[in-house]
Amino acid sequence: MIRLENIGVTRRNRSGEDAVILEDISLSALRGKITCIVGPSGSGKSTLLRLVNRLEEPTTGRLLLEGEDMALLEPLALRRRVAMVLQKPFMFEGTVLSNLQQPFRYRNLPLPVAGSGEVARSLKLARISPELLERDARTLSGGEQQRVSLARALISSPQVLLLDEPTSALDRPATDKLAMALHDSCRQEQLAIILVTHDLRLAGRIADVLMYLERGKILEEGVGSEMLALPRSEAFRRFLAEPGKE
Amino acid sequence: MENQHIVPMELLQLVYAYALILLSAALARFRRIGQEKQLLWASIRMVLQLIGVGYLLQLVFAVRSPAPVLLMLLAMTGFSLQIAGKRSRKRMPHFYRVVGSSLVIGSGGVTFYFCLLVVGYTPWFDPRYLIPLAGMIIGNAMNGASLAAERLASEMHDRREEIETAICLGATARQASEPALRTAYGASLIPTMNTMAATGIVALPGMMTGQILSGTAPVVAVRYQIAIICAITAAVAITSFLILLQGYRTYFTEAHQLKGE
Repeated sequence: MIRLENIGVTRRNRSGEDAVILEDISLSALRGKITCIVGPSGSGKSTLLRLVNRLEEPTTGRLLLEGEDMALLEPLALRRRVAMVLQKPFMFEGTVLSNLQQPFRYRNLPLPVAGSGEVARSLKLARISPELLERDARTLSGGEQQRVSLARALISSPQVLLLDEPTSALDRPATDKLAMALHDSCRQEQLAIILVTHDLRLAGRIADVLMYLERGKILEEGVGSEMLALPRSEAFRRFLAEPGKE
Repeated sequence: MENQHIVPMELLQLVYAYALILLSAALARFRRIGQEKQLLWASIRMVLQLIGVGYLLQLVFAVRSPAPVLLMLLAMTGFSLQIAGKRSRKRMPHFYRVVGSSLVIGSGGVTFYFCLLVVGYTPWFDPRYLIPLAGMIIGNAMNGASLAAERLASEMHDRREEIETAICLGATARQASEPALRTAYGASLIPTMNTMAATGIVALPGMMTGQILSGTAPVVAVRYQIAIICAITAAVAITSFLILLQGYRTYFTEAHQLKGE
């Protein structure tokens, strides 16, 4: 589905020096599977995710979406296939329904109404009650807003879903609800999900594939539950012992 | 219409007028409220600038050739660009290119349209008309330009999350910047709108006052004032519009990616 081949990212920092953000990253994310990337802050997780829907460009290497070189795809068309939910959910002014309609506005398509199949499907996947549709989106709780951003990303039926620390501001019940929504969406829609998180509990719950990233390099990868139970590398063991340490 | 002679302004009368500034500075000094030095410095600068421009205008009027007039307009635009640049605390990328080209097209275009088509005097470069009219138009366009540019820069900064969310949902750079552009455009027009609302009620505008003082019939002065306000409004609106239209692009790459700050 998505393949990253020998991706490297180098950025000039404020003091004018080149800093390596990502180094020789190769990975695949498959349909119907959740790939979780964990690692300390500043390890390059968010940058890695931002490359996949071309919010940023790699310095070296290439990204393939179903065998096609992503650099050759039109960015707007690509973002229709690869949706992304950012760390802090941003709600546009208006109701939840109006927020769900936003991607259609951008593409000049007819707006789906409250009872339409698209709206019902995305609400169900994101575990949002239809009663919330007419609520002012900005008055919802953090957990509800994050699920509305999930529904808004899913309403266009993407093939790949990227999530950048989606639970960083959520409490445990809200995190659990989002985790269930992600699990269901992945299986039902046969989505390839790449999730970047600090939250090892969440990763342990939903990751089919887990990767540990530190200083721009993948130091360990494997099946989620196995890797957490039996970490192989010293670096990952250290991270598991003190996940908050940066 | 009969032109009455204007009361000449002698040196002593100017000294009396300047005494008002000295009085204000003395008051500030007396109550230790500050700003007296700035007030004096700004007023001295104003006097020197105006004396300089007075002599320069006399020279340009005497030459009666388009080259010095155009040169003066260019210098006015250059200075206004420099002032706008100095004033803005938050500057957009490629500020001078974006604001400079917009000022030249916006205020230059409106000035020539106004002078040639609306007023329609001959010769077209007559400095008695072209320079003061262009001055009013460029000065106001400059205010609009710095407001538009500064507001765009702060909106693009403050709305980063909103813009990236829109991009992730498939918006083009233009669609994602739309709310920022609307706010910045509105902000750039506020002073002009306020002036239009207050004109004739709160204060008589400068040009009209000047014409009335020099003996023009109020009805004629009013017509000139209406025309110049239309030109000023258009210059502000067009210059701001061009700045915003070019300006938002400087924040994005070709692939609709928001550049890092």
